[in-house]
Amino acid sequence: MIAQQKTLLPERVAGLLGLDQFGMAGDLLATFLAAFLVGNLMLAMTGVAGPWAKRKITAAFTDRIAVNRIGPFGLFIIVADAVRLLSKELIIPENADRPAFDLAPIVVASSALLGFAVIPMGNGVHLADPEVGLAYVFAVAGIASIGLAMGGYASANKYSLLGGLRAIAQNIAYEIPLVITAASVVIFTGSLRMSTIVQTQAEPLLTVAGLSIPSWFAFVNPFAFVLFVVANLAEVGRNPFDTPEAPTEIVAGYQTEYSSVYFVLFYLGEFLHIFLGGAIIATVFLGGPAGPVLPGLVWFIIKIWAVFLLTQWFRSAIPRVRIDQLIQIGWKGMLVLSFANLVLTAIIVGVIV
Amino acid sequence: MSTQKEELEIAEGGVDYDALEDRLGDTAIDRESHVNAEGFVVRPDEVQDALFALRDDAGFDHLSLVTAQEYEDRYESIYHLKKFDDPTQEVSVVVPTTKDDPVSQSAEPVYRTADWHEREAYDLVGIDYDDHPDLRRILLPETWKGHPLGKDYDQNKPQVVSFKQHANPLKQDHKDAESDTMFVNIGPHHPATHGVLHLETTLDGETVADVEPDIGYLHRCEEQMAQQGTYRHQIMPYPDRWDYSSAGLLNEWAYARAAEDLADLDVPEYAQVIRTMGAELCRIAGHMLAVGTFALDVYGDFTAIFMYAMRDREKVQAVLEDLTGQRMMFNYFRLGGVAWDLPEPREEFFGKTRDFLDDLPEALEEYHDLLTGNEIFQSRCIDTGILEPEVAKQYSATGPVARGSGIDYDLRRDDPYGYYDELDWDVITEDGCDNYSRVLVRMQEVEQSAKVIEQCVDLLEDWPEEERDIQSNVPRTLKPDPDTEIYRSVEAAKGELGIYIRSDGTDEPARFKIRSPCFHNLSVLPEMANGEYIADMIASLGSLDIILGEVDR
Repeated sequence: MIAQQKTLLPERVAGLLGLDQFGMAGDLLATFLAAFLVGNLMLAMTGVAGPWAKRKITAAFTDRIAVNRIGPFGLFIIVADAVRLLSKELIIPENADRPAFDLAPIVVASSALLGFAVIPMGNGVHLADPEVGLAYVFAVAGIASIGLAMGGYASANKYSLLGGLRAIAQNIAYEIPLVITAASVVIFTGSLRMSTIVQTQAEPLLTVAGLSIPSWFAFVNPFAFVLFVVANLAEVGRNPFDTPEAPTEIVAGYQTEYSSVYFVLFYLGEFLHIFLGGAIIATVFLGGPAGPVLPGLVWFIIKIWAVFLLTQWFRSAIPRVRIDQLIQIGWKGMLVLSFANLVLTAIIVGVIV
Repeated sequence: MSTQKEELEIAEGGVDYDALEDRLGDTAIDRESHVNAEGFVVRPDEVQDALFALRDDAGFDHLSLVTAQEYEDRYESIYHLKKFDDPTQEVSVVVPTTKDDPVSQSAEPVYRTADWHEREAYDLVGIDYDDHPDLRRILLPETWKGHPLGKDYDQNKPQVVSFKQHANPLKQDHKDAESDTMFVNIGPHHPATHGVLHLETTLDGETVADVEPDIGYLHRCEEQMAQQGTYRHQIMPYPDRWDYSSAGLLNEWAYARAAEDLADLDVPEYAQVIRTMGAELCRIAGHMLAVGTFALDVYGDFTAIFMYAMRDREKVQAVLEDLTGQRMMFNYFRLGGVAWDLPEPREEFFGKTRDFLDDLPEALEEYHDLLTGNEIFQSRCIDTGILEPEVAKQYSATGPVARGSGIDYDLRRDDPYGYYDELDWDVITEDGCDNYSRVLVRMQEVEQSAKVIEQCVDLLEDWPEEERDIQSNVPRTLKPDPDTEIYRSVEAAKGELGIYIRSDGTDEPARFKIRSPCFHNLSVLPEMANGEYIADMIASLGSLDIILGEVDR
């Protein structure tokens, strides 16, 4: 199903608009336009998720109604909230470390957006397909830690500092299991290229009563899938691993001092990271945009929203672990398990298959 | 003065006061009779001798309250002692000091809890305590001039409160720049301080090196306001504003019990049953809020448990609203009874109450599934915030906090009032001494309260119509005999809530002192939190279930 879609989005845009005749400049413009499309798709999803879906989902879990005053299902709250947040006063602490304080929200938000560049979203929406796709997406997602550290340090606030330190400790502890677990998938595919990873999963795993089950790695190696989902929760700092923000302990962690548009950027960045995490999970374990009947792009969006829903579910139901427990789970539990998974997968793939 | 008191009825309660007097020997220079217990007058420089003797030889291990007051000719500190094993055994130690030199020996070496009490006495009344480890103001800002409950206090004098940075109390312990600790103000505006509490916290990394609660942000002079109100009607609205977690009826009962015993008023049995039912409904509301906010502290977000707890509290509030006409500030008790009978039609009220009780077991099951059965919750709460029973007793912690440390102490059973001794229910204790035990105690107490309410509803349903007396005959103006003193307490949602009243022959109390359970429970926090992780400190604070309105009064 996906195998045919070899052309990437920038080439398609170039072809459609006749930009390919302008050489390098045309390519650049086409790439920019394509990136603009993908970026906006992601930002639009964040816009729906942040002010509206998050509230509605949490309300459903906690027997409430949530926003329902403006527009159908309260949907226009998105507009109202956007205006409200952007029109608020931007307060910058007296002792803030200026360039770092201003850059931090941008770094957090942009690092997530960069990651979407290599994600195949189906129906030809795929910006770039480098050979090192998987490594690239982890690398840019990891940049967010720098943003959190910058924000935490530059705010000149003790709670922010604590939050920033926690964020770094947590990201280091969970990035390794995350990457190692993803590597166990690479052993199957033999490639870091995202399109290859998706293609490999399109092969039928087994056929039950005429119904072909694809070899999604979530089915092939469910253990790795669970590990990856948990590590991803910690990576994006959601419950039960939301210690960097920990509202009841350190107020709001690294974003305590951020207001107005900077706060929006941080908030946006967090949601983008949840969606990026969902996109990686969908691509690496859930067959990317594959799925019956509906177009690939729709399936892809359904999959990342499913991951989003999962994070909100956990948020409503699971307690937060303490920072030392979090680090212990990371270094003593997840790391060991992920290496065990990697070694076992390597043995099984290398010796048996 | 003392001749008049000897005419009063003395609640002996099994204490052999003569033997105690012999034991105290020359330390006791005089003996007074209060309505609740005998009081021994002790010289201000022999306080510790007297208290050590009473604690170690006579078993008075519970310093329930320290009352300080100013007379025309002297200052006086009264130490109200009880026993954890049998709170009906009471004795008071009265320490008068002269006007010129109001210095009295501190009781802190004997009872740790005297620390905060004597600070409050110093702050509000102006008595100095020798040998006190840290005699600072506690409720008012440190720059305050004068002592508001003293007789010569000028209320119109302008006060200046400076705005200066707090110092790191561990600064001098730093060996070098590398071994740094960080001072951080947790509160008064912080998501986890349950109101306006300020924790002066010193952190060593993620560990709490030192924490000191700074209270007083919600101090509303409740004691003084009560002293300016008449017994009959004007005081009763205030107790609702102490523990405002919808637990108002329990507070009202504390005042009602003290004032009724002081003025020797009877309460009809029917009214006692209604009081008991109302009080236990309030306890459920209070505990629901406690469990919900504790979950909020541990979970970190407004989760399902918080909302479910609020929903169940809402149901109790609806029942209470039908009963009292109010959802939080009930003002339903009257001296000698309650304000009005159950709402008509009675069947509808009983039906609604029973519906709530019928749904409760299922709701509690859900809490246990979501909360106490959750492994992450257990790993967060078991063996954190340890409060050893000995420490709890030293700080006079009561209520679920004490019962979570295995102290079998509940005034509803040990010092019965209302209709409790006629009903079938149990006192819950847990031996874990940790945050988890305190949650378990509260959740099981909700079950027990439901049991009490059910029995009350049964009784009320069958109560013959002609015997439904809601109030006894109470004089229009209550003027208890001058210089009568009483200290009475009830088991409120957070623990032992006591009221000390001294009358002066007018229709207003001369001294009205509140023994707030939250005040004592909060003072334990440093014992539980020092050396623990900051997250555990927040959880411990939540498990203490403090209501700042009651801490600060």
